[in-house]
Amino acid sequence: MSDLFPLKQVMGFALSIILTIIAACVYFFDMSMPITMTILLVTAFIQAGLQLVVFMHASETKDKPAIYTNIYYALIIALVTIFGTLLCMIWGYL
Amino acid sequence: MKIDQSLPLEYSTQQNQLNILGFWVFIGAEIMLFGTLFAAYFVLVDRTGNGPTGADIFEITPVLFETFILLTSSFTIGLGIHAMRKGYTKAMITFYVLTLLLGVVFIGFEVYEFIHYVHVGAGLQTSAFTATLLTTLGTHGAHVTFGVFWGMFIVYQLIQRGLTPETANKSFIFSLYWHFLDVVWIFIFSFIYLKGMV
Repeated sequence: MSDLFPLKQVMGFALSIILTIIAACVYFFDMSMPITMTILLVTAFIQAGLQLVVFMHASETKDKPAIYTNIYYALIIALVTIFGTLLCMIWGYL
Repeated sequence: MKIDQSLPLEYSTQQNQLNILGFWVFIGAEIMLFGTLFAAYFVLVDRTGNGPTGADIFEITPVLFETFILLTSSFTIGLGIHAMRKGYTKAMITFYVLTLLLGVVFIGFEVYEFIHYVHVGAGLQTSAFTATLLTTLGTHGAHVTFGVFWGMFIVYQLIQRGLTPETANKSFIFSLYWHFLDVVWIFIFSFIYLKGMV
């Protein structure tokens, strides 16, 4: 039975549950906006990284550099799109 | 077809390795797609017009259920891949079926949520906020729905053909897709729901 539940994945699952609970704390406790955003950003990106490494096996083959280059590229495009849009549609007019 | 026995089944042929790398490129494109949806959402989140705000319509209980259901399904499909690499076909199929059932429950919650939104007057045409909200959630939900059907065909093939380099490869690629949907949900959970409710 323990053959079916490898420690690495069980730990990964436990950690993602804990991170979700920490993130949910911003709803249940009163916090200032900067602290809320910091908690959400940190927990979300750790969880995303966790999925990538533990569950998606991104680092296991010789394709690792190609996979990471591709993911970082996509991430940069997505973040530039999001923050660039915010910059020219919202923050520029504050 | 040259089969390399030193590698897991899903990587055992060159075609398989290329399929997996190709799917990572597709996931890269999906990251950008959801990036644009989030960009639109963050810009329009305060443009509520005469309609409700996020804090008015979001409910924490179904959102937490959806999050834990999707996290658990991501875990069970991970266990499915682990079982596949050990050659336990039956255990693998069980984990896959469990994953798909959790996916169906997730969709059920999301349908309930959408009915609730329309019921409280937050339809697609109410305001810029509700339009981008429902588009972003709907795009994710459509991906999950598509994934459930895709997974059903994969399980069917696994039962029909057993574990071959081809079915293992398809199953692995499907697991990448499913984990990716969980990653997207984490961002929806954090930056749409939680941020909208504080």
